[in-house]
Amino acid sequence: MKKWLLALSVCSFLLSSVASSAANKSTSKSNKTKAPGTSPTLVITDDDNTFHNSLSFYQAGGTVGTPTLTFVSDTATIAQGIGGGFFGLPRVNMLPDASAQCVYASDAGTTDSDIAAVSLSTHLLAGRFTGSATDIGDANGIGIVVSPNYVYAAYTGSNTIATFAVQSGCQLMFIDDVAAAGLNGGSVAGMALHGNLLVVAYGDGSIESFDVSNGSPSSNGDAQNSTGFTTSRNIFFPEGVDITQDGRWAIFGDSSIATNVEVSDISSGHLTPTKLFTISGHGVRVGPGVNSGSIRLSPDQTMIFMGNSDGGSVAAAFFDTRSGKVSGGCTSPPLAGFYNPWAFVGSVVTRDTTGTGGVLYVAEYGFAGSYIGILNIASDGSTCTLTESSASEVPASLSDGLLSIAVYPPRSF
Amino acid sequence: MRAMFRAFVFAVLLTQLAVLAYAGDQPRCPDRPLPGDPVNNPLDLYSQNGTLSVDLLLQNALDVNGFMHYCYIYMYQGQQIEAPTLRVNPGDTLNVNLTNNLQAPYDQPGAKKKQPMHVHMTMSNSPADDCMGNEVLPSSTNIHFHGLNVPPVCHQDDVINTVIESGDPAFHYSIQIPANEPPGLYWIHPHAHGNTTTQVNGGASAALIVEGSNPLTQGLNERVLIIREQDKMGPARDPDANVQLTINFQPAIFPEGGLPPMITVQPGARESWRLLNATSKQFLALQLTYGFTLQDFEVLAIDGVQLTQPIFTNTLYVPPAGRVEFIIPGLPAGQTGTFSTLGYNTGPVGDANNPDELAKLTTSGAPLKTQAEAKHTVTPPRQPLRFSGLAGLTPTTTRRLYFSEQNVGTNGGTQFYITTYPAAPRLFHMDDPPMIVTNTGAVEDWTIENHSGEVHAFHIHQIHFLVMAINGVQVPNPDLQDTIIVPPWSGTGPYSSVTLRMDFRDPNIVGTFVFHCHILDHEDGGMMAKIQVNPSN
Repeated sequence: MKKWLLALSVCSFLLSSVASSAANKSTSKSNKTKAPGTSPTLVITDDDNTFHNSLSFYQAGGTVGTPTLTFVSDTATIAQGIGGGFFGLPRVNMLPDASAQCVYASDAGTTDSDIAAVSLSTHLLAGRFTGSATDIGDANGIGIVVSPNYVYAAYTGSNTIATFAVQSGCQLMFIDDVAAAGLNGGSVAGMALHGNLLVVAYGDGSIESFDVSNGSPSSNGDAQNSTGFTTSRNIFFPEGVDITQDGRWAIFGDSSIATNVEVSDISSGHLTPTKLFTISGHGVRVGPGVNSGSIRLSPDQTMIFMGNSDGGSVAAAFFDTRSGKVSGGCTSPPLAGFYNPWAFVGSVVTRDTTGTGGVLYVAEYGFAGSYIGILNIASDGSTCTLTESSASEVPASLSDGLLSIAVYPPRSF
Repeated sequence: MRAMFRAFVFAVLLTQLAVLAYAGDQPRCPDRPLPGDPVNNPLDLYSQNGTLSVDLLLQNALDVNGFMHYCYIYMYQGQQIEAPTLRVNPGDTLNVNLTNNLQAPYDQPGAKKKQPMHVHMTMSNSPADDCMGNEVLPSSTNIHFHGLNVPPVCHQDDVINTVIESGDPAFHYSIQIPANEPPGLYWIHPHAHGNTTTQVNGGASAALIVEGSNPLTQGLNERVLIIREQDKMGPARDPDANVQLTINFQPAIFPEGGLPPMITVQPGARESWRLLNATSKQFLALQLTYGFTLQDFEVLAIDGVQLTQPIFTNTLYVPPAGRVEFIIPGLPAGQTGTFSTLGYNTGPVGDANNPDELAKLTTSGAPLKTQAEAKHTVTPPRQPLRFSGLAGLTPTTTRRLYFSEQNVGTNGGTQFYITTYPAAPRLFHMDDPPMIVTNTGAVEDWTIENHSGEVHAFHIHQIHFLVMAINGVQVPNPDLQDTIIVPPWSGTGPYSSVTLRMDFRDPNIVGTFVFHCHILDHEDGGMMAKIQVNPSN
């Protein structure tokens, strides 16, 4: 027994030494990275690496018709990710404003750092921050949303939302945490922030909103099962969340057997019962969309983009901001490499900050290699096409399982 | 650093002590073999005068290594014997009195496992009648007589309404083995919806052999080998990394290292092996190597049914719940052999099925000078009357079904479905009406598609089926099986599929029973449906 313990201990020590050494090397390399000269559009990934996590920066170039994506640099977080989790959870995020100075990414695999803060101007690691000792995110990741004064982090292991105050130099200060669990036992699987309203989906069919006007989230007491969940006999689960620029509509992408969107009128500051819109699937054939766990409004809010996580494609629908109605749309064919070598579609973001966004970037999660897919958006307001670019797919070489990406400069809401 | 080392050792010791203390308060399961022990056959229980009556106790206990055992215990000469082999003849009566002594905890403490999204189990009082389809509690169990073509009714082979609670009086099963039941290897295991994975992975399974003479195996030493799977205790973010295969309860050696299970054979002697894959999710790709030379298995039977002609192959693919019966060639004196599984590609979103060395073969005793080489001279057994002529029949109905999955993330939270076209997938509940209704006398062709990037294992209770086509390609010599691999979909092109000829001609199977994926957490998660077979008018 003693020999066995000794061997295990030595192995553990050696492994941690190697890991630490490698992490330091990686950090040194990142610290030497020069900042881009101008302000190009950057695609930023939380690599969610289980050994040495990092943020990777890619420059988005080319034209709308022939977009390109080129790796620029990486920044080690000196912590570990978990290489997976919920599709709709934003693991990398920033203030939705062109003046954003910092990007925050989660490290769900370590206890000594939950959130890494990186300067958008230098790409240098600005700090590593933790919530309380009981905030645990290693089940399905840690989601992040950002306001001018606070960063909110949803932990999927402990079912808590932690509040961090934003300080100068991208620094964060942990304030406190609150419980956040779904009506059916789920944890936060998607979240979005608009002003003082934080909206979450629990991945178990239920949704809830929180008032953050006092800094820390306080439930609005509107936790409810979504209409899709109820009417589908418990097989549609709101997951990804987005909120319109005016704060009137909360839009949920459903984990489902089809492509479903649910919309809630939140103009009262509370969630109202959602209205279910089936974009594709049985009876409504737009395309072979399966699952719509991640969701993203176009900058002009005329379109909703959804990652068909289990179908390997991306779907789009048209959105009417006046009525909250979702209609029609289009679905891409399965993207190159679906099921060989990558397996799930993660988050979807637009390149441009105006119009329909021009180009879509898609996280392509693989157990043995992840990629970033690139699609061109074409829309005349009533019909659309999503076409995979010839530049797609770009390897996300440092990722252990890519689910979350962001774009800088960000969409303005 | 020395302080860190001491702290680490102390923490490990504390953990071990906690496990020991914890286990000390629990019921015990019989000790299982140690690494390096010889692989022994389970105890054989034979029927006498047309009847085999067995009292089994099912209980659970943590071992010192943190594995939760679920054990079928048989008392033999004052000793607890785990998972004996039940041996009956066609036409016999098999009586099993099962006492459920399962106690909390029902799974490894602290373990996180990839779970289906909605397996609802709540505590309530034990029901008075175990045939009423009561709610399945964490301690509930029952028995499925896997592969037997017997009635789906309570006290026989019913898993829908039979729910045996812990502490209930012994539940009596009485199975009349059909006189035309194909002689071969079957098995028993728990099938309480939602609990199957945990109990089977804990070891609750046993071989059931319907005896019958086969000239190909006469005079050969017979081994009964059961490959099981156990989930380890501890941090298990990646459940695939915490799975250990065992052979007759003895841990396989890779990737753990250590002493291998040992199989000692007489030099040069061929042996008859009956192998059961009792794992919950491991697809085996079996190989046998002598020295550096890959050997051929002479395959005699699959899923209890003898093949029309033996098949010679050096790699045997066995899905979870599958059985194969085969002859291994003689191992020359002084040589060693390796019995292993190569691992299996379960698809882009499938659970890892890693390679594993299952056992080492060595020789002992005097070399066998002569042994009848029956394989080229003896006429193989005929196809049993029970399924005779099935391949030549015109199906009365064709159906199309599909497996599909839906995820909220990469780490589970998965919905598992089996659906008939053109319906949309829906979550399975035990109180659902039958998805399919048919009559005795029907012969149906079912095409089972896989719409997911993960392999599945289709199984139907009560009957066997003929495998007519795989991915649309006709199978030249269809074999009877009760469990079959449905390959993962590649993401583009037609869905992967198997086409099966279902034989509902036997009036013995009137009633309602289930078909499902035999990856057990898929089954527990809802990849299951009911079929009702009505009597023909």
